Amino acid sequence: MQEPPKEPVKYVEANVYLPYRYIAGDYRARAMHGLKEKKFIGSKDSKTGKVFVTPLVNSPESFAPCTEFVALEGRGVVTTFCIVNIPVIGRDLQLPYVAASVALDGADISIFAAIQECAVADVRMGMRVEAVWKPDGERTGSFDDVLYFRPTGEPDAKPETYLNRL
Amino acid sequence: MTQLRNVAVVGFAQAPIVAHDPHRMANEMLYPVVREALAQCGVERDAIDYQTAGSADYIDGRPFGFVAALDVMGTWPPRQDSHLEMDAAFAAHYAWIRMQAGECDTAMVVGYGKVSEGQPERVLNLQLDPYYLAPLGLGPLSTAALQASAYMARSGATDADFAACAARNRAAAARNPHAQVRDPAPAAALQQTPWAVEPLRQGYVAPVGESAVCLILAAEGRAEAMCRAPAWIHGVDQRAELQSLGARDLSRSASATLAAEKALAMAGLGSAADVDLVELSAATPAEEMILRESLRLPAQGDGRPAINPSGGAIAGNPIMMTGLIRLGEAFRQLSGGAGEAAVPNARRAIAHAAQGHCLQQNLWFVLGRERRWS
Repeated sequence: MQEPPKEPVKYVEANVYLPYRYIAGDYRARAMHGLKEKKFIGSKDSKTGKVFVTPLVNSPESFAPCTEFVALEGRGVVTTFCIVNIPVIGRDLQLPYVAASVALDGADISIFAAIQECAVADVRMGMRVEAVWKPDGERTGSFDDVLYFRPTGEPDAKPETYLNRL
Repeated sequence: MTQLRNVAVVGFAQAPIVAHDPHRMANEMLYPVVREALAQCGVERDAIDYQTAGSADYIDGRPFGFVAALDVMGTWPPRQDSHLEMDAAFAAHYAWIRMQAGECDTAMVVGYGKVSEGQPERVLNLQLDPYYLAPLGLGPLSTAALQASAYMARSGATDADFAACAARNRAAAARNPHAQVRDPAPAAALQQTPWAVEPLRQGYVAPVGESAVCLILAAEGRAEAMCRAPAWIHGVDQRAELQSLGARDLSRSASATLAAEKALAMAGLGSAADVDLVELSAATPAEEMILRESLRLPAQGDGRPAINPSGGAIAGNPIMMTGLIRLGEAFRQLSGGAGEAAVPNARRAIAHAAQGHCLQQNLWFVLGRERRWS
């Protein structure tokens, strides 16, 4: 028989393993198919015409359904950002990198994106950026198809053009 | 509080219960249901004071899924909101309490959960205590089988009794367009189905199901304007008992019995036999028989009140919604929306919800077509 432990048991380790198998859903599936074609798919608020990307089922603001879809090019403007010094698991990003909100041209809300190919000190609100995609034939319809965003070198956007899309 | 406030169910919409919706996420399933429930009441979302949801992020496997659902619930401009990691019927009780406190006059209650995307047996294993029971790998089906065994040992109920109960529910479900199991089967055929977990056969328990549900509650003064025939809440009570399965008599449900007594007393009724129909969140025939006993009704058989005119949870058991659907079914019966499943001249109903393993927590609503308090 085992000796009773001298110290009282203070905790028990109980690991939990819960597997899931997601479906993307109608709206997200459209977005993922779009990425394969180097397009960002947005959905349009049927009441106000605002475009949400990635697509939303309904407008949280007007509560109207989003029944129409639009395809956006991967160009936009940095609306706000921060500098990150810790690595992201599964992403090959050079440290430090910039995590930014990017308002795509034609969209009314912003997406999160990493900015590369420039010094972190050069990133600023209003900077024009474009998506860098995985090469043709390697895109799988995944959010990883967008490697990161990089500056386009165009003149900065004026604050009034993006202030309501932060 | 000198007198309770009259609160009624005024709208209810649900997606049909299916094993797996391959095209829609939980939010995509919920949005049309919310729109439909509001439309039934002839209102827009700004008529709703308070919103509450019953769901579990462990079921969906999506962190903060309950926050994402606020978009499809119409939470703009921001309003009072809460979320329960329980069957949404308990969220409805929460809303009722807030109305009694005078904090709101109208409430939206939603339930959702894509159980097909995860493994509910594993998720619900985590409701058990982590030292003695969870490590055994028990899920809700195996604990329900323990309870069924305990009930058989005490009552003398047989496999044939379970089969008869399941057959009765399946026959009723054939008239319910929202039920998942809609193919009636004679008891003898169900008795031939393989064991799910002995003594429960596959024909006696609902397969995994998912849906999305929205129910609207309103207090007196608002309810009449939102619904032609509101289903007024006459009594409500919920009780919980010990989590540990070994510390209670699994062949009975003390919490269901006590909560039923309290809810009936609040409703001013002498007994459950005074109502026209009862909707039970009984996932197995043994649970149904235990709950009937809690109401002091015969454990088996037909008659008045009608038990589960919708087919009950045996014909469709979407986790997090089963209880709220019972409340919705009671509303349908009392407001004239039950279609083919209608119980003639139904004036009073009882709806039940359960949470936890082996009927650990029980909630009863007693409803009627007339207002309870003048």
